[in-house]
Amino acid sequence: MAEIFRSIVNVISAVAIPTFILVFLGWGLIKKVKVYEVFVEGAKDGFTTAVKIIPYLVAMLFAIGVFRASGAMDVVVAVLSPVTNLIGMPAEVLPLGLLRPLSGSGSMGLMTELMKTNGPDSFIGVLASTMFGSSETTFYILAVYFGSVGIKNTRHALPAGLIADLFGMLGAVFIVRMLFSV
Amino acid sequence: MLNYVWISLLLIGIFTAVGRDINDEITNTYRNGVPISSRFEITHQRVSVHPSYEGEIVIPAASFNQFYNVTSTSSDIRHPATLTTLSSGRQKLELTISENTPDFWKEMAKAAGGKEKLEALVSSYNVSSGAIVFTMEKISFVKIKAVTKAAIDFADTAVTISLGLIGVMALWLGIMKVGEAAGLLEMLTRLMTPVTRQLFPDVPSNHPAVAAMIMNIAANMFGLNNAATPMGLKAMEELNKLNPKAGTATNAMCTFLVVNTAGLTLIPATAIAIRAGLGSADPGIIIGTSIFGAGCATVAGLISVKLLQRLPKYKKEMEVTKEEETNG
Repeated sequence: MAEIFRSIVNVISAVAIPTFILVFLGWGLIKKVKVYEVFVEGAKDGFTTAVKIIPYLVAMLFAIGVFRASGAMDVVVAVLSPVTNLIGMPAEVLPLGLLRPLSGSGSMGLMTELMKTNGPDSFIGVLASTMFGSSETTFYILAVYFGSVGIKNTRHALPAGLIADLFGMLGAVFIVRMLFSV
Repeated sequence: MLNYVWISLLLIGIFTAVGRDINDEITNTYRNGVPISSRFEITHQRVSVHPSYEGEIVIPAASFNQFYNVTSTSSDIRHPATLTTLSSGRQKLELTISENTPDFWKEMAKAAGGKEKLEALVSSYNVSSGAIVFTMEKISFVKIKAVTKAAIDFADTAVTISLGLIGVMALWLGIMKVGEAAGLLEMLTRLMTPVTRQLFPDVPSNHPAVAAMIMNIAANMFGLNNAATPMGLKAMEELNKLNPKAGTATNAMCTFLVVNTAGLTLIPATAIAIRAGLGSADPGIIIGTSIFGAGCATVAGLISVKLLQRLPKYKKEMEVTKEEETNG
């Protein structure tokens, strides 16, 4: 069942982009749009958008970099681990949960490390990869998406995003514990 | 809130670094100035005025752990090293850092200036028995140096990432523009109106932002990251046209962002690929669990974004003052 689902999604993922390009540009042709000219007109914005993001992403990544390099994560983990132990979250995966919203590459490294030491099919291995797959790099998305339109006051986006991350992690712990019946 | 989180990351980072370095200094974590006794086994000798030797430094795991007060090393250390005689007559030991170097030494080498090697002064060496006593170079301010390096490196990374977006951004924005001109976006928008009216009540149901958001969410579902970001940014741009207060995120923007940060995807491709690479018997086993986890995140995020936007604090931030209105 999971295998069928997976192969269906894989096929869709593989053909999605070519189909998309074909439909959009083909439809434009039928509607007598000057496809090349309009394409170039739209593509112009690619550069300005990317450049606009730079200051926001610098601010965000450098603060996260400083935090990670200082080893402050160990301190946070030590403070939080009694709480997470109560809900049945192994101490090993707590740093991954904390790092996931901050750094995509960092949490990927941590997940790989956890699976290497514990085995990818162990409880911790499955939990770590599920946690990684259950969320996105909130701070990065916030900086890029809001940065591109010059949003400085992010209002309730960050608290809501972090609540989502928290529930993603809790959901991952819940479902993996249930399936592994530990 | 972002203001406080941001400055907290920086302050906690810097204070922790300073605190740890002071602690290292007091407890002498890196054993500055304390000589190590071990054995040096010569594998190669170069004869010149000042003889130099290549060989291995041998330290049993137990004595290494005891010396540095760590538990990380389990096997005995045999580390390649070069012994040279300086013109002053003293002997110097050089350890080139490689993959097999104990983690503790790797960390020390990084703090010593990232020059991929550790130096030590030899206080006595007996060629025939191999007994050697040496003192490692002084290591200090490890964390502060790491923090400084990270600040500069990550600023660089941010620019690399941003500039790396130019190509895909241009490609997708070009395609989207054709779709817009052909009226495709409008059709897509009309199709999805029932759903989007619930999620984004402030966005007119025929607005182009809706189409861009739908395509972004669909691209995320199918793990097409290269397409998802440009479409998401296009959606932000359209949403910003409805924004009465430049520089402040609207309710619709916050909702859209939360949908993205929750990261619901049908196939968590990165995690599966890494699992497969590590020899998992069933790499795809996490598909279901990840959808469940991300589903929890999406639902919790949507509920909290809708509740939070009612708080007086966040409502007030969206109010447009007369002054700002005239400034546009």
